[in-house]
Amino acid sequence: MSIGALAQSIINGFSSAGIYILVALGLTLVLSIVNIVQLSHGEIYMIGAYSVYYMVVSLGLNFFLALVISTLLIGGLGILLERLCFRPFRGQPDRAMIISIGLILVLQSVVLSIAGGTPRSYSSPFTGVLQILGASISWERLVILLIGFGLIAVLFLFVRMTKTGQAMLAISQDREGAALQGININRISAVAMFLGCGLAAIGGALVGSLFSISPTMGSFALMKGIAVIILGGLGSIPGAVVGGLILGLIDGIMPVLATTYLAGLIGFGAIIIILIFRPQGIWGHE
Amino acid sequence: MNKRLLIQILSYGVLIIFMFLLPLFFPGLYVTHVLILIVINIILASSLRLINLTGQMSLAHGGMMTIGAYTSTLLVMKLGISSWAALLLAGFSAAIIACLVGFPFVRLKGIYFSMVTIFLAQMVTLTVQQWRSMTGGSSGIYNIPRPDPIVIPGILNITFTSSVNCYYLVLVILLVSLIMLYAIEHSRIGLTFRGIQQSDSLAESVGMNTTGFKVLAFSIGCFFPGLTGGFYSQYIMAINPDTFSFLFAIYILIYMIVGGSGKFIGPILGAFILTVLPEVMRPLKQFQPFFFAGVLMLVIFLMPEGIVGLPRRLKVVAGRLFKEREERA
Repeated sequence: MSIGALAQSIINGFSSAGIYILVALGLTLVLSIVNIVQLSHGEIYMIGAYSVYYMVVSLGLNFFLALVISTLLIGGLGILLERLCFRPFRGQPDRAMIISIGLILVLQSVVLSIAGGTPRSYSSPFTGVLQILGASISWERLVILLIGFGLIAVLFLFVRMTKTGQAMLAISQDREGAALQGININRISAVAMFLGCGLAAIGGALVGSLFSISPTMGSFALMKGIAVIILGGLGSIPGAVVGGLILGLIDGIMPVLATTYLAGLIGFGAIIIILIFRPQGIWGHE
Repeated sequence: MNKRLLIQILSYGVLIIFMFLLPLFFPGLYVTHVLILIVINIILASSLRLINLTGQMSLAHGGMMTIGAYTSTLLVMKLGISSWAALLLAGFSAAIIACLVGFPFVRLKGIYFSMVTIFLAQMVTLTVQQWRSMTGGSSGIYNIPRPDPIVIPGILNITFTSSVNCYYLVLVILLVSLIMLYAIEHSRIGLTFRGIQQSDSLAESVGMNTTGFKVLAFSIGCFFPGLTGGFYSQYIMAINPDTFSFLFAIYILIYMIVGGSGKFIGPILGAFILTVLPEVMRPLKQFQPFFFAGVLMLVIFLMPEGIVGLPRRLKVVAGRLFKEREERA
């Protein structure tokens, strides 16, 4: 394999990693703050892709404008879901998970009945290929990489610098302690759902510009997101980044060296090994 | 006491005989197919409940059925062994795989365990899709032979070419499975499972090997979907990697939750009701996911213990109403 092809697969790996991390960050935020496993997270991601599709193709909006609007809309949907479906089951994670399973069915069939089952596609405004050192890298992937990692950096700063971010950290460490300090758990939960769903929507929209979109695309994202947060450590933001990078690079490089199947198998093997030697994940703590 | 036991046994006997007579009342290929689906779903939901006894929720049942189906199919079609042995081996192969992955998996608690089981099921599907030389890839395997006939010369000759006989076969599998599951639940092992469900750190502190028992529950609970998967592939005579998808595992979970996972009868009721109702409402087939989701959410919001908890809940509600009226008077 030439150096060019290697560089290309590494860039591809990084851009997949960006998407996985966006999805996983949403999952991990919701998991540690709202304290539920949001199994319908993949469906949120799918709806993100579809809403951008409709805004770009039917309304003829600019891709970036559509991206921002759909992120806000779907973040709002997240707040709604938290209020109606998850808040009644706070403290009962098992039942909340079952509710989210119900949501998978509902959201998937709503989109299926509106948009139909045929895969659709739209293109982002970036076309063409960048040639560096014999590697040809599509601008689309580079833009995805930049947006993805830019958002991750913003989220880091948000959690570090703002009062709301610190409140999130406090809740994830000790729920009752945080409540006693006067942190409004309802408000922070809504913020977490907004951010989580918004990030998933951006991830879906970015993937939609690369590949085609379909009502069942969410399960793939959910699987990757779950794998990333188990690998990196449940509820940990740096863990999600590390886990996402590992899985993304495996998925970027292995198909070039061997097969896609091997990439999946190695990802699975990595999870089993991590579970045996470090059950709390790479970055997690007990 | 003895009299009550007798009545109980008699009523179960009548129910079983009724189940065996059902195809006579409702002949026809379609009804038989639905009956078989009901029985299969009951086995699956009940075995899922056994795993749930230790407080774990598995979503790998679809994957386990795929393992069972492919094991039995390949053993019969490539090695030519008896379909009965293949059926048993299908169950054991699922149980062994569950045991192997169980040790790392059970280190995760609660919902995290469910997440890795989803992942396991995904890996099974992926493996089957990729191993084309063995499994035929995405298009699957066709012309799987039906179960071998049972022949005792001069006395008995049962062939399984007709669906009705397949129904009888799966009914026997159901009865044996339910008896086994019931016996396990009411044995010492079952008590240990419950102890682990209530507090696994306490169970561990009094010297129970919680990891071992969790893996045991997971393996036994996966034996039955393996077996059922083997049977289903022989009954349908075809199998492909998407037959038992992630959605399928979710439906089984819904049967268990809606029926009520607290009691043995719960998953049986849930699987029965939720398999029959969509068939009755067949014209609305396209709304089936809505229907399932709606029922699921209704049950979760209104009946925390599932359908089996309904009588008690009604009693509580009625009692409250009655009291209020009394106070007002």
